[in-house]
Amino acid sequence: MLNKNIYLRELKHHRTSLIIWGLSLIVLIWLDMAFYPILMKDDFMSQISVLFENPFLKGLMSAFGATLDGFTNVLGFYTARNTMFILLLGSFFSILLAGKILSQEEHEKTAEFLLTKPVTRFEVVWSKMAAFFSLLLTLNIVILITGFISIEIFKGDSEYRLAAFLIHTFYCFLLMLTFGAVGLFLSLWIKRGRPTTNISIGIILGGYFIDAASKITPALDKIGYLSPFKFVDSSVLSPDYGLMWWRLLYFLGISLLLFTLTFIIYKKKDILI
Amino acid sequence: MIETQKLTKSYGKDRGIIDLNLKIESGEIFGFIGPNGAGKSTTIRTLLGLIFPTSGSGSIFGLDIVKNTKDIKKQIGYMPAEVNYYYKMDVKELLDYSADFYDMDCRSRIEELADIFALDLDRKILDLSRGNQKKVAILQSLIHQPKLLILDEPTTGLDPLMRAKFFDILREENSRGTTIFFSSHTLSEVQKLCRRVGIIKEGRIIAVEDIETLRKKQLRIVQIEFPHTVKNDEIDCPGVIDPSANLNSLNFMFSGEMDTLLKALAEKEIKDLIIEEPTLEEIFMHYYEDKSEEERD
Repeated sequence: MLNKNIYLRELKHHRTSLIIWGLSLIVLIWLDMAFYPILMKDDFMSQISVLFENPFLKGLMSAFGATLDGFTNVLGFYTARNTMFILLLGSFFSILLAGKILSQEEHEKTAEFLLTKPVTRFEVVWSKMAAFFSLLLTLNIVILITGFISIEIFKGDSEYRLAAFLIHTFYCFLLMLTFGAVGLFLSLWIKRGRPTTNISIGIILGGYFIDAASKITPALDKIGYLSPFKFVDSSVLSPDYGLMWWRLLYFLGISLLLFTLTFIIYKKKDILI
Repeated sequence: MIETQKLTKSYGKDRGIIDLNLKIESGEIFGFIGPNGAGKSTTIRTLLGLIFPTSGSGSIFGLDIVKNTKDIKKQIGYMPAEVNYYYKMDVKELLDYSADFYDMDCRSRIEELADIFALDLDRKILDLSRGNQKKVAILQSLIHQPKLLILDEPTTGLDPLMRAKFFDILREENSRGTTIFFSSHTLSEVQKLCRRVGIIKEGRIIAVEDIETLRKKQLRIVQIEFPHTVKNDEIDCPGVIDPSANLNSLNFMFSGEMDTLLKALAEKEIKDLIIEEPTLEEIFMHYYEDKSEEERD
């Protein structure tokens, strides 16, 4: 089923990219969390609370998932501040990687080499998908560890629920996985495997802004559900925060559907070189 | 070894191949000849499962080219017309990657072949000249000792010395029982190697012939020089094809009784006469034109 040869080559081929994205996220998360103790000192929060009184700014802040209460708790701060980096960068990484992991072989015409080796189309897709999944999982483990350590180091007196942190990180992972499935599926339709970079960036930014707009204006709340970002639950401070079946169903359903369609379509696809 | 029945592939409006019937015997070297765009690569890519037939069927080693493609490819070495490899890899990495797809140890064979072709294994694919990339493709197709070699215009970009070495290797492989499917647009190249050729034109096979039969079509090239200017119809004799006069000289192809021609010539005053066997290229061109004229009628 899994062709070890293809799987290992993909891991090797994309490891530099993984390291760059991983390091960027480590630095961003770490720098941002280093601000937390500074903000908590000197009663800084009472000064910025003015921001939340201005209706326009309040809306703007909530677009990024920030509320005044949320800011003072370490996990609330982590989620409000870092969700943007993690979700955006992680989603870019995922959709771009999945968008080229299969189609690059066509674009660089190496598919002629690969597909004349004794492998089935199924094995090719499966091995590449497994490599994509491993790389994405590694990035998320890096995020999880960096997040956990930085929270522990900078939390001061603030208390938080570890389960809430883990669940939120898991939601982020599911969102990235879903965008990966979108990227992979999309790349099947581009003739001769040309890069899907522009359209992928468009999808992520579009999704992000739809979600942000829906948070600013209550009237746009329903429209927000057009965006996968809306399905990431960031209310980590709510006492009944947990995994919700309909959110899981959304992410896993879309991913499973698109991955399955990818298998079916690639199996019958003419590889033009 | 390879057999196709009414194999057809069309891409939307474009013609690919139409009703292709081919039968290639085990152990032979089969030449697959046609001009660029005739459908040679389409045929090969369909056989290798890169593209799927629109209709008809094909088999290699008795296995279906659509359903059993993995088992078929275990025993095939393929050399593409255009070499496109992972440009970041070095040669050794690429050959190892290639070798790892087969359940055998190919290291000694890689070394041996790299020696024969004077190929530096430590160079990056990106830095190789076209000829050297072609050598990598040769190695890549041979290292796992396949039972069938499918070569798509394998000699373009190779210098004459390498071409000779390559042909030696192919003869050696063939003597060990390897079947070779050799696609080319130059017949003279194939004639050195093949026993049979299939001629493809505009997606259809127009002839499958023994090289010997092609030669024995008794076609001759005749060049005559006269002491005076001549016209195209200077020689009136059955079997004269495409005469073309130029001042004192007359060239034509001849396919008929040599005796009749000589008797016809004996009546003329002649300064010089050359009769020679045409190259396969010329036979082929002639044959080809005839066929397409028949089709037009």
